[in-house]
Amino acid sequence: MSAPAPSPIPDADVHAYVDGQLASARVAAFEAALASDAELAARVAGMRALNAALRDALDPVLAEPIPARLLAAASAPDRHAAGVRRWIVPAFAAAATLLVGVGLGWFGRDALIEHSGTPTTFARQAAFAHALYAADVNRPVEVWANEEKRLVTWLTKRLGFAVHAPDLNGVGYALVGGRLVAGNEQPTALFMYENADKQRLSLQVRRQPSGTGETAFRYAVENGVGVFYWIDDACGYAISGSVDRAQLLRISQVVYGQLAAAEAAVAK
Amino acid sequence: MRVSPRWPSFDPVTPHTASDAPGLPHPELVAAIPRLRRYARVLTGDATRSDDLVQDTLARAWEKRRLWRSGSDLRAWLFTIMHNVHVNQLALARRDAANVSIDADPGNPAWQLPVRSEALDRLELLELVEHIGRLSPDQREVLLLAAVEELRYDEIAGVLSVPIGTVMSRLSRARGKLRQMLAEPAAALRVVK
Repeated sequence: MSAPAPSPIPDADVHAYVDGQLASARVAAFEAALASDAELAARVAGMRALNAALRDALDPVLAEPIPARLLAAASAPDRHAAGVRRWIVPAFAAAATLLVGVGLGWFGRDALIEHSGTPTTFARQAAFAHALYAADVNRPVEVWANEEKRLVTWLTKRLGFAVHAPDLNGVGYALVGGRLVAGNEQPTALFMYENADKQRLSLQVRRQPSGTGETAFRYAVENGVGVFYWIDDACGYAISGSVDRAQLLRISQVVYGQLAAAEAAVAK
Repeated sequence: MRVSPRWPSFDPVTPHTASDAPGLPHPELVAAIPRLRRYARVLTGDATRSDDLVQDTLARAWEKRRLWRSGSDLRAWLFTIMHNVHVNQLALARRDAANVSIDADPGNPAWQLPVRSEALDRLELLELVEHIGRLSPDQREVLLLAAVEELRYDEIAGVLSVPIGTVMSRLSRARGKLRQMLAEPAAALRVVK
């Protein structure tokens, strides 16, 4: 009795695979077909290249400065506050014009980044560093959490300002440890966390180059890694992980709250 | 560290607090603006009209904030609003000028993605943007949401209020047409010869 002929791959599966949405149960069968079917492999490669080209073509829109009227529209409508808004919005608009180059710079990739002599922006670097080290089962960190004090002292010394590892046990993530990562101009501290499902998150902290100002929280996705990042008091913070946006946002809020509290305690 | 940026509440469950200062741009909405603008450009193919659409969308989002399920993807929700606002505006425009409905024409020749051309350093990207304009609006929309915004197909179906099968067939046609168009120059050369 001969083996049954492999069922043809549905068109929808090809699209889902290219867009990273194929149900995990079907990925193995798809990849087996991919390995033996040169025509399918060429089609997938073509579709992937098209996706990348579409992003390259449409991403520059993201790097454009946000018009003041849209910032105004993003503000809580409050008839009583019209007087306040009249000066806040232009001020914010001016700040936002500065910020898009920083916060959204990675979107503009070639357009903005190369001009400033920076190979990649913070969010992108954070995603790459996270992907590189989080995938390393045995050696995700340089110094493990059981030596947290030594880790913090070391990173504080190398970064030149006080850093500490926020406690994320409340949101189900335990500290794994940390390491130093090369940044553009400044070294970056990376703290790795892990939950019960062995899912990893990383918090990266670095001193921002001068003149970058502050940004509100921003979100970016790079190669499937979500990054929430913000710049505050000349330091850049990025939380990266392959978790959904809402969860990452919640964790970012916890981290931000703890950092602010720690700062307030130091100031006292 | 200063205690800014803060998180004004967009969450309907949380009441307004003193820190939720009126008049301050909402950070999550601000963060969504660049993507809304891109979606609007792909929809309208016109820089000014697309910013009008973004503005209307943000206004609508504030009005309807109680309908946003807290914790769900704000971006997908905003895309849904924008899609609906756009569809309504097209319907109104069509009613006002029954015989002028450029927007509804597939492959609207007036459509252009106003990306500053110096941002597109590669010729094939300029060409690609032109080709995107020749897709039907339905196909453009699905392609942007799937390939560029990386929304899940079921999310796209939700944004557009169409069955997921429709999303898949539009996506398939969009990619098929782009592939065909990108292969065209070679064919044209053969004709010239």
